[in-house]
Amino acid sequence: MTEDPLLTPDRRVLAGTPTLAEQVVEAEVGAARLWLLRTEVRDVVSFRGSLEPAPDLATEDDLAQALLVDLLDKGTRQRDRFALAEALEGRGAELSFYTDALRIGFGGRALAADLPDVLALLAEQLREPALDEAEFDKAKKQAIAAVRQAMDAPASQAAGALSRRLYPPDHPNYIRTPEAEIARLTALTIEDVRRFHAARVGGDGLRIALVGDLDPQRTARAVEGVLGDWAAHGQPARFADEATPTAPGRADVAIADRPNLNVRLGHPLALRRQHDDYLAVFAANFALGGNFSARLMQTVRDAHGLTYSIGSMLRGVTVEHGGHWLVHVTLSGPNLERGVEATRAVVQQFVEEGIGADELGAVQETLAGQHVVGMATTGGLAARLLTNAERGFDVGYLDRYPDLVRALTPEAVTDAARRHFRPGDLHTVVAGTLPA
Amino acid sequence: MSEPAALEHPAFAFVRASGGIAEYRHRGNGLTVLLLAEGAAPVATLMVTYRVGSRNEGAGLTGATHLLEHLMFKGTERFNRDAGTSVFQVLQRVGGQINATTWYDRTNYYALLPSEHLPLAVEIEADRMRGARVRDVDLDSERTVVLNELDRGENEPFRRLLHAVFAAAFFAHPYGHPVIGWRSDVETVTASGLRHFYDTYYWPSNATVSVIGQFDPAAALDLLDEHFGRLPAGPGGSGDGAEPLAVPAAATREPEQAGERRVVVKQAGQLGHVLLGYKAPAGLDADADALDVLATLLGTGKSARLYRRLTDRGLTTHAFAYYPRLRDPALFMLYAALAPDATHAEVEAELKAVLADVAREGVTENELARARRQVVADEAFGRDGPYAAAAQLNEAIAVGDWTLFSTYRTRIEAVTAEAVQAAAARVADEDRLTVGWYVPTGGDAPGEEG
Repeated sequence: MTEDPLLTPDRRVLAGTPTLAEQVVEAEVGAARLWLLRTEVRDVVSFRGSLEPAPDLATEDDLAQALLVDLLDKGTRQRDRFALAEALEGRGAELSFYTDALRIGFGGRALAADLPDVLALLAEQLREPALDEAEFDKAKKQAIAAVRQAMDAPASQAAGALSRRLYPPDHPNYIRTPEAEIARLTALTIEDVRRFHAARVGGDGLRIALVGDLDPQRTARAVEGVLGDWAAHGQPARFADEATPTAPGRADVAIADRPNLNVRLGHPLALRRQHDDYLAVFAANFALGGNFSARLMQTVRDAHGLTYSIGSMLRGVTVEHGGHWLVHVTLSGPNLERGVEATRAVVQQFVEEGIGADELGAVQETLAGQHVVGMATTGGLAARLLTNAERGFDVGYLDRYPDLVRALTPEAVTDAARRHFRPGDLHTVVAGTLPA
Repeated sequence: MSEPAALEHPAFAFVRASGGIAEYRHRGNGLTVLLLAEGAAPVATLMVTYRVGSRNEGAGLTGATHLLEHLMFKGTERFNRDAGTSVFQVLQRVGGQINATTWYDRTNYYALLPSEHLPLAVEIEADRMRGARVRDVDLDSERTVVLNELDRGENEPFRRLLHAVFAAAFFAHPYGHPVIGWRSDVETVTASGLRHFYDTYYWPSNATVSVIGQFDPAAALDLLDEHFGRLPAGPGGSGDGAEPLAVPAAATREPEQAGERRVVVKQAGQLGHVLLGYKAPAGLDADADALDVLATLLGTGKSARLYRRLTDRGLTTHAFAYYPRLRDPALFMLYAALAPDATHAEVEAELKAVLADVAREGVTENELARARRQVVADEAFGRDGPYAAAAQLNEAIAVGDWTLFSTYRTRIEAVTAEAVQAAAARVADEDRLTVGWYVPTGGDAPGEEG
């Protein structure tokens, strides 16, 4: 057998192929920056993008931003919500918008031939939303219903309660209580949303990654035609970028009739995405709780059988602000205390022991492999290109990433884990039907 | 699409090709193999689909298929956690995304991984097809894992309602019990009971192995023969590879429903839900394609009728139509999550009216064209990366004809407005309807302490 018996001849040619940095075409059209990549997929183009409306979180712009995002597909100055839906769905295309505190994001996919039309729709929705009052009233009602639905969900309530122990209200990772969220949504008016759109939404920080069956030059021109003249507002976002945790302790959130308890342990991390320690801390966390082979899953689920779901992650860490270390586990009532204890024991032991060479080797291969697998779809590639760009990293970082991961040593990872993970400082939050 | 060439192979007989997929059958043990060698990235998915699901479970053994799926990760003599070589340890180490799912008619195991590691995944799947240990000690720890998974489902209003509606709609057929099983069965099933299940259903003749993505088909057949070829066909398998073993018929046929059934689920909570389950034909029925189109034009997107009639008018926060194509007759469902001021009765009436309208008035050419276009685009999207295609192919295998996947676009394009109206008229029979209401009680806000 040849060295790579399952690779097609095409792929063997590709084995010496250009790096992503060599293949991705970068372009600037007006305020927008584009990352364009043609792949071998047929007929499909996926895109992911975001812009920076620069909300002031102290004045709770986040809610105006969230409602604006809900209204982007409810009509524009040219067409009502149904005409808009027809224009997209009649092409089988997908386009959706989201808000994540500091950014408004969007993503979608279309058949290659429809891409210019879909980009035009995207621009129309972003630049000229109708912001109709009747639609606003409906969207507000839906948003309140969503908060109420989340009141029954232990995961949502545990995440919220933990965030309120760790962050000040104007931190992007802070989640209001359901009551506060509903009260503020109720007070919000269409004028608030219109003002926010007029003053804060423009070409600032507009980045779009497009991947698939596309011609980079033609696609860049198509974007330029609809977004190239979009002006920037030039205002900075205002928000708290550091955590302000209360003293470590425990909060229980009682929810009736929810036998599966959601447990979250967490403490703030003195770490940003661009920090030199980041990859080492990421790898350490991955060994602890990144996948099924990790210690938490192998011990608390596989050996003890105490949970269906357990893991750990670095949550809400960006280049702009800090986040927290999160260990999460779901437990049935009778196993609650035993499960929390077992989870804490694994965490404590991990930080004390550090990571072994074999363990790190497995993590390194996993992360390098995941990197390849994650870029197997046009959507996956576009998402990575966008995230990478939002971090201010060059495309080459995606090429270098596997080598950066493989360069980590057990000593460096263990040291970083001990610097950043402090089991004694973990807060505990339990949400669900608490055992009597 | 040009079809792949039929490969001459000593161990595998070429059966047919459709939609870029080539089907082969192992001459020795009847294993069915599907190869879809297409992909822009150097990754591949290996999937093994066993034609066994909760449909094959009787009283006392509900949830056995799913519990066995969990135990399949507990290891074999060669690959196990104690040796540091569990499925997860080995395949996640090379970046694989690994999991398994259990459903009414099938169980599937898959790994999406860099193509050069495909041999490893094949070796592991072949090894555990007949070599799973299914030990008492493994069941002891995994039982509580599954009970916790069951509790997770109990937390979710939609799942509770779905279980209640299926249980009311199916008195006799095994679709009436949840795929995860009834709690007491999960609590009491024994390892020997699961081993019997394993020994009945986990054989090459009852399985289909699919390879999707970037790989060389001839090398893949060699590899599959090397590892799966040595396994015996299984009970009832002819051994000559002529035909795969048919899935045993479900023991019970559901008696005809004659009269609306109603079920109410009460749970502490905030907002209500309504689920209507109309008796609907099996997934290979002549009307099934039209029902797929009907579900799309009722429930997909903001142009859809349910959105326009309910959500856009503030009655619901979301609503959709759902028609799982199963091996036996099941349900065509309409679901709605209620907005705060809406009542169950008005939402139920609106849902019924949406379906009745189509049955009475039919659909417009515009609606039909949009639904078709969505399907065409979905098909193209499904070929973007090797997992989406695997998931769709899996359901086609389960229903009993994998070409349902490969010919889907052509068949959907042939569905007429008249066929959609006729299919709607066929299912919109309120004497064959089960109505489910999820009624939140109490509605207290979460109480936070500490």
